[in-house]
Amino acid sequence: MDILVLIKQVPDPEALVEIGSEGKDLNIEPKFAINLFDEYAIEEALKIREAHGGKVKAITLGSAKAIEALRTAIAMGADEAMLIEDEGFAAGDGYNTALVLSRALEKEMFDIVLCGRQAIDADRGEVPQMIAQFLGLPHVGVVVKLDIADGKTVAESAFEGAKEVIEVALPAVFTAQKGLNEPRVPLITGVMKAMKVQIPKLTVEDLGLTRDMAGPGGSKTKILQYLPPKKRPAVQFIEGEPAHAAAEAVRILTEVERVI
Amino acid sequence: MDFAFTEEQQFFKKIITDTVDRMVVPKAREIDEKDEFPWELWKEFTRLGYLGLRYPEEIGGMNADPVTAMIFYEQIARGSVGFAQSVIMNILMGTYFVYRFGSEEIKKRCLYPAMKGEKITTMCFTEDQSGSDLAATRTTAVKDGSEWIINGTKMWITNGPHADVATVLATTDPSLGARGLNFFLVEKGTPGFSPGQVLDKLGCRGTVTGELVFDNVRIPEENLLGAELNKGVDYLAEILDEVRVMTAAMAMGIAQAAYDEGLEYARKRIAFGKTIGNYQLIRAKFADMATEMEASRLLIYSAAWKIKEKLPSRLEAAMAKMFATETCLKVVDEVTRIWGANAFANEYNPQRHFRDARFLLYGGGTHEILKDFMGRMLIGKA
Repeated sequence: MDILVLIKQVPDPEALVEIGSEGKDLNIEPKFAINLFDEYAIEEALKIREAHGGKVKAITLGSAKAIEALRTAIAMGADEAMLIEDEGFAAGDGYNTALVLSRALEKEMFDIVLCGRQAIDADRGEVPQMIAQFLGLPHVGVVVKLDIADGKTVAESAFEGAKEVIEVALPAVFTAQKGLNEPRVPLITGVMKAMKVQIPKLTVEDLGLTRDMAGPGGSKTKILQYLPPKKRPAVQFIEGEPAHAAAEAVRILTEVERVI
Repeated sequence: MDFAFTEEQQFFKKIITDTVDRMVVPKAREIDEKDEFPWELWKEFTRLGYLGLRYPEEIGGMNADPVTAMIFYEQIARGSVGFAQSVIMNILMGTYFVYRFGSEEIKKRCLYPAMKGEKITTMCFTEDQSGSDLAATRTTAVKDGSEWIINGTKMWITNGPHADVATVLATTDPSLGARGLNFFLVEKGTPGFSPGQVLDKLGCRGTVTGELVFDNVRIPEENLLGAELNKGVDYLAEILDEVRVMTAAMAMGIAQAAYDEGLEYARKRIAFGKTIGNYQLIRAKFADMATEMEASRLLIYSAAWKIKEKLPSRLEAAMAKMFATETCLKVVDEVTRIWGANAFANEYNPQRHFRDARFLLYGGGTHEILKDFMGRMLIGKA
């Protein structure tokens, strides 16, 4: 069972993010981490390999700094890693990212592609589905359970408290949701392997793409402006007896703020 | 000059930071409050293999150079200094002499299990009347046929009450002063070897510190941990700088933990309609803290690099220990001021960092002793 795990290095959840001049760009404190949902994907890949054999390969599209995320995957237990790094890929949208990654995947042998359900930076959750589309593969998203036994693959997909149980033919693309597993802490043997490993890199040309197909040129969407979230208003204190205060709170929620 | 960590060291820092955040930080408060050896965390954490950090890969270690080891010490102390003290004892002082001088049989019995966390180790220097003044050691080792007989009482022993393996400093000839000192291996279960009083400490709680009693403890000849008799002080010199820089790295761990708490508070605490980070006097505190922490780290990592390159490092190691610990004391103090009265409440962390920082004043030499030593080195015998 050969598994490809697509991971993304994202700003650390605690990194300071500020909107740059005129909302054209973001200034992000240079602290990075593997996308949380991708850690579930790596862990699930390792568990499948432990049960069924095969190998796990982690792939990322990013800058040279993203090698750290790949090394983390190796430290956790992945067998191989690959970085797709080229300035031409910078600032591509989800469509372009999916296009590039699917070109890389076409060169690989695999039974399963595992991704996180979304990257916690842009929160769009669109790349895995598009990869499945580009490769003509089935896709099951937001997976909280994945069983592979007797030639059958059954995934449980979670939606608003309910679940869908889906049987799917391999190869297929899955996206991991919180609850799927508990990602392991790397052992020192894995850390040592990860520190020494040479990680191969691919460029635009290696993937048979031209410069105008990668990055902003190959994108279908364009970010025009970043706007800050609405500032939280000050706490409103409702005076009076509890019964009166509760009624006033309901009135504010339903008539003024219209949140219920 | 190149001041950067290698890509490998940067990665190691990232991994150990994440590991500590995940496993140690959430337990830190409980470790401090209970002040009991955290057995569950010990088992979970030592399973990862970090106790073999300094030792060769052939025996299951990581063969980490001193710079990489300092990264580890700093991060584990950032998580919980009480836990870090127990862990680092097994990594460095508690196993060094067993690794360096123990027979293969001794290593199989003591070192390899200690590298996996299956045995807890300690190093016994201090007595009620000797600490920095090692020459005043009163614990004796007397040869009797093919055995040594150890007698004495050790104080302030990290992991002491739980130690399976103790490296004990004892004199074979009190008339020789420091030149009569040697290290001996004493294992749990040896008749006459028993724990005494457990200390109730201000900080660094969770590492159990106490007294160890040696009452006519008979150990075989091979338990002398040294190639030659009466060279104990020379052997100690082999790791003295590393121990001092390690203490400095632990100080930066505590300082960073406190600084991070201060930063979070300065960004969210509102006074007079603005977050307090907007006020110049608060900003000045961060400028000072960050500057002195950066200076401490430059001392720590350059001293570690000198140890790695086998360059003279005695002065630099002492400087790093003293400067980083004093910086840590300043940072934990400033953070309690940034937090205001909340720092005085036991439900928040600044008071723990404030207490923990003081622990580092003593290990690796008091600053009074270090200043005297450094002055002598710098001026010479006037």
